[in-house]
Amino acid sequence: MSGLWGVLQEHFPELLAGFLVTIRLVAIAFVIAMVVGAVVAALRISPSKWLQRIGGVYVETFRNIPLLVLLFISFAGLRRAGVPITPWIAGTASLGLYTAAYVAEALRSGAFAVGKGQIDAALSLGLSYASALRRIVIPQAFRSVIPTIGSLVIAMIRNSAIVGVSLLALPDLLKEARIIQSRTFETGEVFFWAAIGYLVLTLTATVAFRFLERRFEVRR
Amino acid sequence: MRSTDRLRQTAVALIALAALVAAGCGGTATETTDTAASGGEAPAASLDRIEEKGEIVIGVKYDVPPFGFRNPDTGDVEGFDVELGRAIAEDLGVEPRFVEAISDNRIPFLQDGTVDLILSTMTITGERDQEIDFSEPYYIANGRILATKGSDIAGLDDLAGRPVCTVLGSTYADTVEEQAPDADLQLVDTYSECLELIQNGSVEAVVTDDVILTGMIIQDDSLELVGDDLTTEPYGAGLRDGDTEFQKRVNEAIDEYKQDGRWEASYEEWVGQYTGIEQQPPTMTLKEAIKLAP
Repeated sequence: MSGLWGVLQEHFPELLAGFLVTIRLVAIAFVIAMVVGAVVAALRISPSKWLQRIGGVYVETFRNIPLLVLLFISFAGLRRAGVPITPWIAGTASLGLYTAAYVAEALRSGAFAVGKGQIDAALSLGLSYASALRRIVIPQAFRSVIPTIGSLVIAMIRNSAIVGVSLLALPDLLKEARIIQSRTFETGEVFFWAAIGYLVLTLTATVAFRFLERRFEVRR
Repeated sequence: MRSTDRLRQTAVALIALAALVAAGCGGTATETTDTAASGGEAPAASLDRIEEKGEIVIGVKYDVPPFGFRNPDTGDVEGFDVELGRAIAEDLGVEPRFVEAISDNRIPFLQDGTVDLILSTMTITGERDQEIDFSEPYYIANGRILATKGSDIAGLDDLAGRPVCTVLGSTYADTVEEQAPDADLQLVDTYSECLELIQNGSVEAVVTDDVILTGMIIQDDSLELVGDDLTTEPYGAGLRDGDTEFQKRVNEAIDEYKQDGRWEASYEEWVGQYTGIEQQPPTMTLKEAIKLAP
């Protein structure tokens, strides 16, 4: 079968399998990115200069290394050094830690947007620094960072395609498309459907985040 | 005031972008229209175009010793395929220019005119013959299994449930699926990646042509060939579909190469001295090769 719809009909199971792998990859990486990003952001805004510096090193490192290089280091490099890291762990960790650097910066600027005045006010009311963070700063910061986190999620969905093309050989959507293309040579058609697949994911994320934005909108 | 500033900034940005795009495309635009034109015209134009340019662009492997690989000391690409490429270029009276063609992109490169000829350990199959044309077979390889010395993999049956590597776009993706369907097939871009994976333990076997595997053993003697010949793989030079004039010339060049002793000399230099196996130039015809692998 050939032609645009023919290709979809004939190879739907494989494309769907790849699509699900991509979702899984992005979901796990997202969790890693949010958790690590929050920790690093907390380091960055902490009063201790040392902790700030550690957070700074993390952000600079992971923002300046290309994701593909990170993948090679985490998989090929670590394995040669004897660490039994699996493709899944290397892939999700690389994507997650890479994005975490950006999440940390987004959270940090969100926290700053809240304004030092609020922290001072909270502290003068007798709240501890941790309570001030938790009850005053974070809820407000959260609202303002939703759009930025949204675009980071979309970036992650696109970056996940890099994982599939790398040495890790994870069978994500792009990889499945490449396998089909190498057999049938229906290049334009199969990559069109891969693009549609990624578009479905990014549009879903866009809609979801727009919903969240509206839900948590500050009513002035 | 502000809006004219913004307008000016946008204009400058657009002009800069246009300049970048023009610079980037300017070089390739003429090339692509050239190849598009000759691709659409009578295929015989391929030979004319080569003679006109005085050069033939040949796609070879850069990381598959001993057929096509970059010598780390000299930086030049060399190997059995490369030697044959030089011989064909000499026969046509043009200079050879080698570019890298991995299994995954070699046929698209041929179809879109990036290369004129493919000499990259490419097996003749009926399926590929629908997309491109082949020369007569110039080498017969056999599919084998590579495993680490001391592993318990001795043949196809042992591959069940184990991670096995081969390259995207090669015939072995199908071979493994047919002959060892329970193997956990990992597809990567190049054989050097398969070597990396078996060396770092993520796969336990690599399946491909014996000569490619021999190249790996030359680099790492903790690996060995196991099991019997899985398949017969006649290599053919790839050319554009319908390019019959060019095909005839290439076949003549290859035929002479086989007859006058150069084939044997090249074989001995690149393959024979490592495998210790004697071989004669193949006599299989293209038709027979296609019958083997429709």
